Amino acid sequence: MQTIFETPKTIKENSRFSFCPGCDHGVAIKLVAQVLDELGLQENTILVASSGCSVNLYDYLELDCIEAPHGRACAVATGIKRAHKVQGKEKFVFTYQGDGDFASIGLGESLHSALRGENITAICINNTNFGMTGGQMGPTSVLGQITSTSPQGRNKETHGFPIKTAEHIALCDGTSFSARVALFDVKNILKAKNAIKKAFEYQKQGLGFSFVEILASCPTNWRLSPLESHNKIENELTKTYPLGIFKDIKND
Amino acid sequence: MLKGNIAIAKAALKCGCSCYFGYPITPQTEIGEYLSSEMQEKNLAFVCAESELAAINMALGAASSGAKVMVSSSSCAISLMQETLSYASSDEIPFVLINIMRAGPGQGYIFPSQADYNQSTIGGGNGDYRIITLSPSTVQECIDLTYRAFYLSQKYRNPAILLADGLLGQMAQGVILKENPYPEIDNSSWILNGAKNRPARKICSLEPNQEKLNSHIEKLFKKYKTIEEKEVLYEEYLCNDADIILTAFGTMGRYSKAICNYYRKNGVKMGLFRPITLYPFPNKRLNELSQKTKFFIDIEMNMGQMLKDVKLALAKDATCKFIKKPIGDWSGQEETIAEIDEILKEKYANNI
Amino acid sequence: MSYIVIDESKCKSCYLCINACPKKLIKAKEKPNNFGEYTAEFKDDKKECIACAKCALVCPDIAITKVVKE
Repeated sequence: MQTIFETPKTIKENSRFSFCPGCDHGVAIKLVAQVLDELGLQENTILVASSGCSVNLYDYLELDCIEAPHGRACAVATGIKRAHKVQGKEKFVFTYQGDGDFASIGLGESLHSALRGENITAICINNTNFGMTGGQMGPTSVLGQITSTSPQGRNKETHGFPIKTAEHIALCDGTSFSARVALFDVKNILKAKNAIKKAFEYQKQGLGFSFVEILASCPTNWRLSPLESHNKIENELTKTYPLGIFKDIKND
Repeated sequence: MLKGNIAIAKAALKCGCSCYFGYPITPQTEIGEYLSSEMQEKNLAFVCAESELAAINMALGAASSGAKVMVSSSSCAISLMQETLSYASSDEIPFVLINIMRAGPGQGYIFPSQADYNQSTIGGGNGDYRIITLSPSTVQECIDLTYRAFYLSQKYRNPAILLADGLLGQMAQGVILKENPYPEIDNSSWILNGAKNRPARKICSLEPNQEKLNSHIEKLFKKYKTIEEKEVLYEEYLCNDADIILTAFGTMGRYSKAICNYYRKNGVKMGLFRPITLYPFPNKRLNELSQKTKFFIDIEMNMGQMLKDVKLALAKDATCKFIKKPIGDWSGQEETIAEIDEILKEKYANNI
Repeated sequence: MSYIVIDESKCKSCYLCINACPKKLIKAKEKPNNFGEYTAEFKDDKKECIACAKCALVCPDIAITKVVKE
């Protein structure tokens, strides 16, 4: 008898995710929890949660946690990291944000944390819309995407272009690692886990800002089934948002 | 001799401030400039934030980790921080915010002003919350009240604002930089330092349960009530036998003291009541004074923001007049005296 | 015999596990639960489960709480 899988220890007992059926947030949280377990980080970690669908994260993870005002997670994480450092303690600090939080309202804080080489990790769930408020167009909505505020589809003339967050973060000299991953099949889920692990390890090694953008489904707001949503990511979204590692300080 | 800005910075370091987050804005930039070298030497956290939004949120994070944290800024930039003050009040995270006021509204200009009284005491953020607000009138008080701001913020787990103005920030006076007189507050029961050998802690203002949210706000206001009962500070100058009492805060308090002296010399029994804590406002004492003295003149370098608090505090049969000191005008007292003379002429003509 | 454990109360019937199982051992229940949901059910009469844990990996609701290999 060998247990191949069990619920990660970092996930609170009797947690019940409040996400819509088939939402990839749950998979991403599970991966984060698994990596924290594997690296033995749970007792030394402080999580910065954000506004959006990920807002209840602290109810699912057995981690010390603070909620940041919308978009300010990387700034709050900076304060936490620095404050412990002056007390002579290295804490593991990461943010878990949506694309609206990280790349729209919080782009300033996000980019500057990367530019400072702030030794924190940011996980950004990119589901190409503002999910919690009912699927409005966000900075990550792709051209042609129909949302509740772009009923005719996003067009570049009126709404401009979507932001390729992982590529932008990779351009910052303080970034140690920047990758975009997806969760539409088992192979990619495992790749995503590896990327999260690498990002976390780079922080442990003090290499600077590490970042993973996770392309995630939003079946409810996309008006698709969970499976169709995954197909959309694989066949459509990856054209705008290619998967891969855009910066790895150890390979550059 | 120290400039107000430098005095505040030195006092912060003396009482153990280990994290400073800032963004330049006149007339308080010297605070950050001074701390940048001092804190680097001492291996403390000094971050030039990319914006005031980032600075105040770095403070939120650092303070949640148990560090003594200070942010300094000025008026229009303090406006940018209001959201986080609201969060920190709900989260009960203590830090000290220095506001070296300049003129507004909007960009205004770098003239000294007292027009952030409302912003500070009523709050510019959303929801039911209060911010402890201390108002120094001299550079020495900048030091003493910086100590006190750190102490009160830690004691009550609430942000505290030191509300000075550009005049005080830029002015140099002889001071004594004594040691921090306040005890350390134990914060080990709530800070975030990793869930080791204890359940995980969460600090958040989000509360989807209506009952819980209501009781959280009730809890906050119970705390505010304690603050209002215990932490009121004010200065009374020649109030005992006064026929007329001036009310003024901060630099205008100091300015008004000289006016008091002038009228005393000329046989008018004038006193000064200077609130040092603007929140909690010393309404109880002001009301007591107004049982005997029935005539008050409020002097502020704004359009009359503290005036409403003074009027609310006074007995019903007391009168309160207002003198608006033009923004940025800290020069001679002649104009103010002329205005007071007019008011007094009217007072005695009508035998108020 | 390898097997998986499904916490029915956590299942939201997204059926991603059904699609992920290489042996097609997970199906929607025939009877709905109290919410009218036809949650996922593990049925392995022929003992085909290889404990690959793909189902647990894709489950967004940690409803598959355990995978055991024999």
